[in-house]
Amino acid sequence: MNDLTTDLAVELSGVSKKYRYFTLEEIHLKLPRGQIMGLIGANGAGKSTTIRVLMGLVHQDSGEVRVLGHSMPAEQVAAKWDIGFASEDMRLYDSMTLDWHMRFMRSIFPNWDPAYAQLLLKRFGLRAEQQIKGISHGQRVKAALLLVLARKPQLLVLDEPTTGLDPVARHEVLRELTGVMAEEGRSILFSSHNTQDVEQISDQITFIDRGRIIDSMDKETYLDRWRRLRLEVPLGIELPPLPGIVGVQRQGRLAVATSNAFAPDLAHAYEDTGVRVQSIESMTLEEIFVANVEHSREEVEA
Amino acid sequence: MSSSVIGHLILKDWRLNRLLISLSIGVGLIALVIAQYAGEVPRVVGAVWFFVSLCILGSMLPGSAILNERKKQTLAFVMSLPVSSVQYSIAKALSTTVMFLVPWLTLLISALVLIETRHAMPHGIIPMLLILAMLPLIGFCLISATALVGESEGWLMAASILCNSSYWLVWYLLARIPSLTANWTRPVAVWNSAALIVLSVELGSIASIVGLAFFLQSRKRDFI
Amino acid sequence: MNRTKQVDKDRAVPVYTVYIQMYGTFTLSQSDKRPMYFQIMEQIKQRIMIGDWAEGQPIPSIRQLAVDLQVSVITVKRAYYELEREGVIITQHGKGSHVASTSGLGDRLREQELEQHLEQAARIAAQLRMPPKRLVERLREAGDRVAEKDKELI
Repeated sequence: MNDLTTDLAVELSGVSKKYRYFTLEEIHLKLPRGQIMGLIGANGAGKSTTIRVLMGLVHQDSGEVRVLGHSMPAEQVAAKWDIGFASEDMRLYDSMTLDWHMRFMRSIFPNWDPAYAQLLLKRFGLRAEQQIKGISHGQRVKAALLLVLARKPQLLVLDEPTTGLDPVARHEVLRELTGVMAEEGRSILFSSHNTQDVEQISDQITFIDRGRIIDSMDKETYLDRWRRLRLEVPLGIELPPLPGIVGVQRQGRLAVATSNAFAPDLAHAYEDTGVRVQSIESMTLEEIFVANVEHSREEVEA
Repeated sequence: MSSSVIGHLILKDWRLNRLLISLSIGVGLIALVIAQYAGEVPRVVGAVWFFVSLCILGSMLPGSAILNERKKQTLAFVMSLPVSSVQYSIAKALSTTVMFLVPWLTLLISALVLIETRHAMPHGIIPMLLILAMLPLIGFCLISATALVGESEGWLMAASILCNSSYWLVWYLLARIPSLTANWTRPVAVWNSAALIVLSVELGSIASIVGLAFFLQSRKRDFI
Repeated sequence: MNRTKQVDKDRAVPVYTVYIQMYGTFTLSQSDKRPMYFQIMEQIKQRIMIGDWAEGQPIPSIRQLAVDLQVSVITVKRAYYELEREGVIITQHGKGSHVASTSGLGDRLREQELEQHLEQAARIAAQLRMPPKRLVERLREAGDRVAEKDKELI
């Protein structure tokens, strides 16, 4: 079964996959057991491809993939007993009811928790006897999540679990995802372009853009590194280029500098040249996302 | 454990295609009943409907059982279960085959029973019946293999059109072999070399189609 | 605290109130400019200040609070770590966490809050180039206003 001595739920090393119009390059990713990782990227950045490689659905061209200690895709069957997977483009059987799907899962997976499944039906506002054909998008997403959550798998791999959900449904889903953490040792990897969700529940954040990982680290450290400095540049003074500054916007005497490697020295460095630092603000993950992507694309083009 | 997952997948496919299977059995049985009536018209109508129900099943089942999994995007759901792509292909091939063979055998055996008990048709027709009944089976194998390997509606349509338009041609050609048709009206079934050769060619072609399909399928690297 | 508004901030961002049995409500907001871990620290300190959480009282484990608040474990971990550094809570390995039982903790926290506000006022006064004497006057006037308002409420 599982290799319990591994403390990594997911490990991708140097994974590459080439398609006709898109390439996933040199992906390195580590998710320690018992944590939640949010995979952020624009549409088409490679989130879904990365997840498919991780699940063994797509065979990588090079590099190693280990999930719960199993090498993928070779050991995908063993791994999938303990992985719950749901993706945004996945569909259930239209002509069958949710109850049929629940019984189907229950017959295959010994870990199925019927009491929890009933609770989720109530919490998600779903009716088991309803045909999948007749339910709305949001309810369909929640139904697919119910089917993986009630199995209580060691690892949840979710491709855009909150996309297209109304705020109430999102709240319900996030509640269950964070609820998974009550049991130590269970992990979640989910992809999203909704930065609020990622910021709220992730322990680890990985940024992917155009097939490359541009950042991957724990959330608190990451949020600490990014700052926005509001500066006042007196007449006759040049705004110096400083290391750790990834973007500057000027508006007359005022300037806003964005840093991805902030330390108090940076503010002092500005003050030393006569530039006044009005304030230092932390940035939301959404602001970081946009600044990061712009910066990394500039770097690639340079 | 894996064999139980394969078992569940087969049961699942059966449940999803119940309607198609029952309809084809129903139409085929009605055709056999009609063929009991005296006269050329009921005989022809019965015979045609009998074969057409098998041909249609052979064309529609692969689309419904194999391609729909991709079209309706339920494949990701199935592949999230503890199965490999090879196991999935095996389960799919098995379930689709069983779903065709059950009606096929039911109708074939019903036809044989009718010939045996009702004396509505001479026994001499049995070898030809068998040879002709194999045609939809071959067609089914070809269309299924194409659906499984080709993964697209375009391929499925091509195979389906090819088979459906070929049945009648093959039937016509076979009917022109004297050693096959000579013994139709005999009261006893005659298994001459012509009949046996044709049957072996039919079985051989099924084996080659299946073998080739598995070979091509196992070489795929991107399953979804 | 900087209150500069930007165009892209005008979009509504969720404010959510979470009820924890026995422990009252925590209100965390993503539209608040301060980091999540900081808000958690603030609200824990507030409860201690007003006496809701008594000195020496056990508090939820990191994992439990994370689940209850629907935030990442790492955020609560950081909040607890900082609170422990400030001597506000104590975590014992295997026994969980509890409010520090130093006497006068509530008052000490209030003192800290006052310091922060005073420094902030001094900073803004400096930006306005206000002389210190005038700042003291303003503080006295503010104190009077507060006393008036409190009288009206009674």
